[in-house]
Amino acid sequence: MVLEKEIFKEFEYVVGVGNIDDGDVITNIYAYNWCMEIINYMDGKDPIPFSPIPKAVVLPSSTEELQKIIKLCNKFGIVFKAQSTGLGPWNQPSVENSIIIDLRRMNKIVKIDEKNLYAVIEPYVSGSQLQVEIMKYGLNCHMPGAGPQVSPLASATSMNGPGFTSPSTGHSARNVLAVEWILPDGEIMKLGAYGQKNDPDFFYGDGPGPSLRGIMRGWAGTKSGLGVFTKVAVKLFPYPCNTEYKVKGYSPNYDFEIPDFMKLYVVDCGNFKKLEKVMHEVEEHEISFMCSFLSGFAVMAIFSNSIESLMDKIPIGQMKAPLVVIIAARTKREFEYKKEVMYFLLQKFKLKNIVGKIYTPKPIFYAEALRSNLGLHGFIATGGFQSSKGVADTAAVCLRSTKSNIALKQEFIKKEAIANDFGEGTWMTSYESGHYFHMESPTMFDQTEESSVKGMAEYMEKSNQLDLLKHLGAPFFVEGTRIHEMFGPHMSNYHTWLKKIKQAFDPNNISDSGFYISPDD
Amino acid sequence: MNEQEYKQMIKRCLRCSICKWIPQLQIKSQKYATICPSVDIFNFHAYSGGGRIIIALALEMGRLEPSQELTDIVYKCTECGGCAVSCKFLNTLEPLEIIIKLREKLVSLGYGPMPKQQQYIESIKNKNNPYYEPHEKRLEWLPNDIKIDPDAKTLYFVGCTSAYRRKEIAIATTRVLNAADYPFKILSENEFCCGSPILRTGDKNTFINQLNKNIEIIEKEEIETVVFSCAGCYDTFKVDYPLERDYKFKILHTTELFNELLDRGQLILTKEVPLTVTYHDPCHLGRDSEPYEEWDGEVLQMMPLVSINMPEKPKRCGKYGIYESPRDLLNRIPGLNFIEMERIKEYSYCCGAGGGVKSAFPEFALETAKARIEEAEDTGAEIIASACPFCSTNLNDAIVDRGSSLRMFDISELILMALTTPNKSVKESFKEVK
Repeated sequence: MVLEKEIFKEFEYVVGVGNIDDGDVITNIYAYNWCMEIINYMDGKDPIPFSPIPKAVVLPSSTEELQKIIKLCNKFGIVFKAQSTGLGPWNQPSVENSIIIDLRRMNKIVKIDEKNLYAVIEPYVSGSQLQVEIMKYGLNCHMPGAGPQVSPLASATSMNGPGFTSPSTGHSARNVLAVEWILPDGEIMKLGAYGQKNDPDFFYGDGPGPSLRGIMRGWAGTKSGLGVFTKVAVKLFPYPCNTEYKVKGYSPNYDFEIPDFMKLYVVDCGNFKKLEKVMHEVEEHEISFMCSFLSGFAVMAIFSNSIESLMDKIPIGQMKAPLVVIIAARTKREFEYKKEVMYFLLQKFKLKNIVGKIYTPKPIFYAEALRSNLGLHGFIATGGFQSSKGVADTAAVCLRSTKSNIALKQEFIKKEAIANDFGEGTWMTSYESGHYFHMESPTMFDQTEESSVKGMAEYMEKSNQLDLLKHLGAPFFVEGTRIHEMFGPHMSNYHTWLKKIKQAFDPNNISDSGFYISPDD
Repeated sequence: MNEQEYKQMIKRCLRCSICKWIPQLQIKSQKYATICPSVDIFNFHAYSGGGRIIIALALEMGRLEPSQELTDIVYKCTECGGCAVSCKFLNTLEPLEIIIKLREKLVSLGYGPMPKQQQYIESIKNKNNPYYEPHEKRLEWLPNDIKIDPDAKTLYFVGCTSAYRRKEIAIATTRVLNAADYPFKILSENEFCCGSPILRTGDKNTFINQLNKNIEIIEKEEIETVVFSCAGCYDTFKVDYPLERDYKFKILHTTELFNELLDRGQLILTKEVPLTVTYHDPCHLGRDSEPYEEWDGEVLQMMPLVSINMPEKPKRCGKYGIYESPRDLLNRIPGLNFIEMERIKEYSYCCGAGGGVKSAFPEFALETAKARIEEAEDTGAEIIASACPFCSTNLNDAIVDRGSSLRMFDISELILMALTTPNKSVKESFKEVK
């Protein structure tokens, strides 16, 4: 279903010839996404990886163009779905009467303020692109766990945003400063310092009056359900070690010169109770660049670049409660201090570092850790994975959630719907010196097998139910009206407030609510 | 890739967009982070490696019918293979092979090649070259004083582009070989297009005819070694011919041979060439010239949903392309200051000419080449060198269009400048090869 000619012309007038397409091929290709087959099955549709087909795809190049597009959407009653780098089903339109706004042409690093430690970016700047530019100032940024190829703006404004380097680079929700935001009706909202009449800048996200950052994204973002974000300032952090980043050799077997003052620890804490204590202490001492509890299978995966090399590491997979810690420093003195603290903790908890003894990872592991490329290793085993649940809370709650999920997962492993990670597949990391943690349960399935897709979807549903029954903290992946209405009554009826917000900000329900919430009761 | 592998693989794209960037660990700046000329120019996701995999899936599922719109998108790709290198760092998809197969399918359905490509294929059939040039003029580049040994066991396969469009490369190559007293012959009127321009369009049957013709002639001449100055011809003989038919002769690119001649002392570079030079890796000499490795292993199911290849299936990620030979040559030229661009070797940025794009979509080819020239300019070099006449043509066009101060040379031309050639100063040599 294409746009009416007159409407197409109006959009084209805004973005220019060649920057809008309503042809069958372009629109069909934008209907595809990873894990869409699961979402479809959950919604009672065929488990195919295609969403409703948008009527057109537009490529604006500026805030001004985008504002005009959104006003046209309101004028013609066409739903819009915005996307940046586009990974995941939450980039997909939920209704037929929609267009996709691909923000690819809005790709500028607007500003790097190395003194005040923030950068202002547009939607299509990737994590790698931002990182390499700020490394020139000795700085680092938070990159989402989805990998360095995705958009930090999308993560900061619209998604959840944990990352492997979270202990040292925080969480997307807490890193966002001033924002330029086009509301669903086309009005431009400037949050924080950017809204100042005189000398607008980006260095803080709130001003006098109520904070809108919570409404803008809250914990997990609105996934284009409440407008589009065109500029965002994100916090920057000191790069953890020297910025020489020398990758040598040829893909996929790259070699890397591990920077001075960088050390990896992989320890088996034996049980969750001890793991919790160790994680807390590591974080309280503020020494880690990365500190993740990964199940044995996940540890195998982050050290492998193929399923074959993963299978070589079965002994690592036997660990009961593995903790992966990287310390990094800029000076020898700082490094010695961090090493001493780690030595003290290993002694205190009677832990042994297996690195260099039982296993020595290839140097490229360190390059991937520095560039936050480790999350992509989740795809190695079956080609498809998704996190089935998630919790953001204390370490104890996260681990309780992990534990409670094991039996459920094993049930679906037995059914051969999902791959066997012993039921333990987990990634958990900490934020802000251990003040809170998050866990999610990466689960491997085969998107080419219908039985696996259906099994994965059923497992994810049951996993959500489990969270509700056991009251396992703030949920991590709660998207769409159906799920919000399932969780809401268990959590202060928050969903009714979300609906009110949606109604107030988007009176025409034009900003696709498929992965946010519908304003209707 | 057989039909079954194709049908399975097209279901596996993660839509992660890794295929749009150079390998993540190699990104050094925001400006030069991308790998795919097609999506860089046309922007819509369908123009990326991943996008074309989704096209293949949508076609297979019957969600899309072949159409002119679809064909246009599939053919607006230089088939440079950059997407495949980036994707395969962790994944096992084959975006480039899927694109090639997709084109073959479109040809079989009557939708490809593009009209301009069909025209040059006709030219190859009728005149043995894609430039609509008379076959009898194929040797017009050849100076009278070049020594050709009719009994030599080495053949210099000139290629259509050097024979008709970039004659300076053929001249420089033969002069260097003469300077080394290295006996070679050429096929003269029996040299025909290697078939690369046909193969890239998906017209496999016509390509196979061309391949058979070439192999038969070369084997009839009892040639032991074939030397190429054209990366496209080299890649086609080295990688694509063996997939269809075995042959007995050895394949060398001139950059490999020149290094051998220098090692053996047959060539001595004595003249200073005081130029600052950067080097453009041709896709066909670099990542795409890595041969397919035969894999005769077993697929073992380790557990439900998890299978492994035993032994591990080699990933063709461009590792075994020819990267060091051209760089070694440049570093061996006295006085020459060699500097690298950001995107090099297996993640080099394409010049924009390949995959039939230069003829079918000349503006796309030119815009891509201009981006590459800008990258070369940013190094501070005064010369951009390469080892492929087709890259050379497109990059030269971009230099002119951009008004760039860069000059383009084939490595053979730079070697010729550095040679002790009696009665010829560097300047004179320079003039000749210009």
